Amino acid sequence: MQSNKLGWILLAPTLVILFFFGVLPFLYVVFVSFHQWNPFAASPEMIFNGAENFRRIVFDSAFLNSLGVTVAFVIFAVLSELVIGYLLAQAFMREFPGKSIFRTIHTLPLIMAPIIVGSVWKLMTTPSIGIIPHYLDEWFGITMNIGTSAPAAFLTIVIMDIWHWTPLVTLTLIAALVSLPRDPFEQAQIDGANKAQTFWHITLPMITPALVATVFIRLMDALRTVDEVWMLTGGGPGSSTRFLGVHIFKEVFPKTNYGYGSTISVIVLYLTIVVCWLLYVSMLAPRKNRKG
Amino acid sequence: MTKQHATQLDTASLTEDDTEKTKTPEERQGFLPIETNAFDRCFISVVIWVAMSLFWFRFLEPMGLSIWISNAIALALAVFIVRKG
Repeated sequence: MQSNKLGWILLAPTLVILFFFGVLPFLYVVFVSFHQWNPFAASPEMIFNGAENFRRIVFDSAFLNSLGVTVAFVIFAVLSELVIGYLLAQAFMREFPGKSIFRTIHTLPLIMAPIIVGSVWKLMTTPSIGIIPHYLDEWFGITMNIGTSAPAAFLTIVIMDIWHWTPLVTLTLIAALVSLPRDPFEQAQIDGANKAQTFWHITLPMITPALVATVFIRLMDALRTVDEVWMLTGGGPGSSTRFLGVHIFKEVFPKTNYGYGSTISVIVLYLTIVVCWLLYVSMLAPRKNRKG
Repeated sequence: MTKQHATQLDTASLTEDDTEKTKTPEERQGFLPIETNAFDRCFISVVIWVAMSLFWFRFLEPMGLSIWISNAIALALAVFIVRKG
């Protein structure tokens, strides 16, 4: 009983902070999502409109387009980060000259703020002054303009995200790989398993928890990407890179449509939770032992 | 009794206490394929309710079917999942 009391006392500061900065704002957003509220309009009061915002959202082509673009971005970016991150983690498990320098350089993008990453990539991809369009044109004869080409803009954002966040995946997977016991690998070697078999039957199952945790972090981050995209393309050309985060930003700040913006936020949160939960259930949740 | 002995006894009693608390209850034989507690089943019900409502708004409400039908189905499903899941 005494240990329980001590536990609650130690947890109390965190719980209080979590309540005021996490739970309360969330409940307020849910509350606002059931209202029509434009505080800078002629009638700034909050008007309860039931589920009207949710009724509107399922027919909103701008939102559905943003959802499609975001899902495509998440699939391409997170999968690429996992594959490249794993390969780099395996490379860092071996000894090679300049390993520590390379590891430090490889981790540098992580310490950059997303808005800076967006600015740097904007400089690098701006036609006429950017290094990337210059060399693409000089070496391959490819004209790249992310201001007019939707595929180029989308691809640039995916590559930028991979460049920015792959180090996080690498670091997490290095930690997972380092902590693996040697015995199963030695046993597999004695039994004559090849590299692919060792990977599928030993390495992958053993690093699954770390892999799923990494996917959770990246998935949640990728679903709410705003600043990098806002800086690089502003959601354009047209609405080709208008991700959900950018869509919410445009709905809430330039249009000051707080009610509908909150509804989109709630739906994005719902999607994030559902995707993460499905991933958890399919990969980690304990299964029932059914008899017969 | 020395101070060291007292500490050991305290630790022992705490460990027993903790073991008692972490004993897993008898496994449920519900229809869900994963082990769940009441909170998990409530969560699953809410997720289904929201998904069903959005689906209803998009496809069935324009055909004249009220959202309250969806809510009633979701509630019945929630009770079933919480009790039998």
